[in-house]
Amino acid sequence: MNELERMNNGVDLHPVTKVAPLTPLEVYDKFGAMAYGIILQIVPQPHLAQEILVNVFASPQLQACNSYPFTFAVCVIKLARAKAVEAKKKLMAIGTDDVENTLENLDLSPQRIFDLSFRQGFTPDEVAQKLKISKSEVLKALHDFFKSYRNS
Amino acid sequence: METKDFIESGILEAYLLGFTAEDEKEYVQNRILTDQQITDYVLDLETDIRLYFDQHTIPPPPEIREIIQLRTTKRDIQKKKHVFEQKSAEEPKKKDEYLEIEVNDTYIKVHKFWRPAFIAVFILSKIFLIAGLYYYFKTTSLEQENEKLKLEIQNIK
Repeated sequence: MNELERMNNGVDLHPVTKVAPLTPLEVYDKFGAMAYGIILQIVPQPHLAQEILVNVFASPQLQACNSYPFTFAVCVIKLARAKAVEAKKKLMAIGTDDVENTLENLDLSPQRIFDLSFRQGFTPDEVAQKLKISKSEVLKALHDFFKSYRNS
Repeated sequence: METKDFIESGILEAYLLGFTAEDEKEYVQNRILTDQQITDYVLDLETDIRLYFDQHTIPPPPEIREIIQLRTTKRDIQKKKHVFEQKSAEEPKKKDEYLEIEVNDTYIKVHKFWRPAFIAVFILSKIFLIAGLYYYFKTTSLEQENEKLKLEIQNIK
């Protein structure tokens, strides 16, 4: 699936209208606020979040989003989350680990599983292990999360 | 796995959000490329993900933009310098062929072969001048001698 195929499908998405590769500042102008919101969800400290935000948009990895087969927004979301989780993991290694305490609450709702996967930075395998459920149930919960969002 | 089961398994959500392992990524990419129903679902899902995160946007401080601009400009300069150095190493002959100079003086520049030609013309002009003077004075003295002889002949008569 490439951008031309998208156009043929009649779907109005950002990469379709894009002619030349976007510069980091253009990407920042479009998705900076969204990326900052995501980073703050994962790392609530504003100063650290701002540093991560700069790393996201000054990163050479951002140029790879120009050749990403899907929308630029999703690529930026992925990158912002990856950088924020990486920084959070470094912080956790230095500071106190409060994740174990939160996992004592065995809430198996899609919202909770999405939160653990996206905001806490756990892989689906880790979430399954911590919540004592199968990996397929974790993935199904992610599907249900967006399904319920779509229907709401 | 059937298309419906594949979509409902949640692997596409995990793939788009970057939770999948490398081997899973390849499998999901192949399914997206080969199954139109999955492709359509991914397009819808991308829109949903975008809309979901758009709800949580927070405008960053304005100075962040300037910092990003500075960092990317610095990186671009380093990249350009690197490319220039590579090019100059690859094409030394081309560089020698064309010499770009900026002329900012009032002198006329001619080819170096004109120099011996000008010297030859100068030397020949001197030779002709000396020869001209020699024959002029010689002719004058001969005319004077001729006049003198004529007077002597008249006196003898």
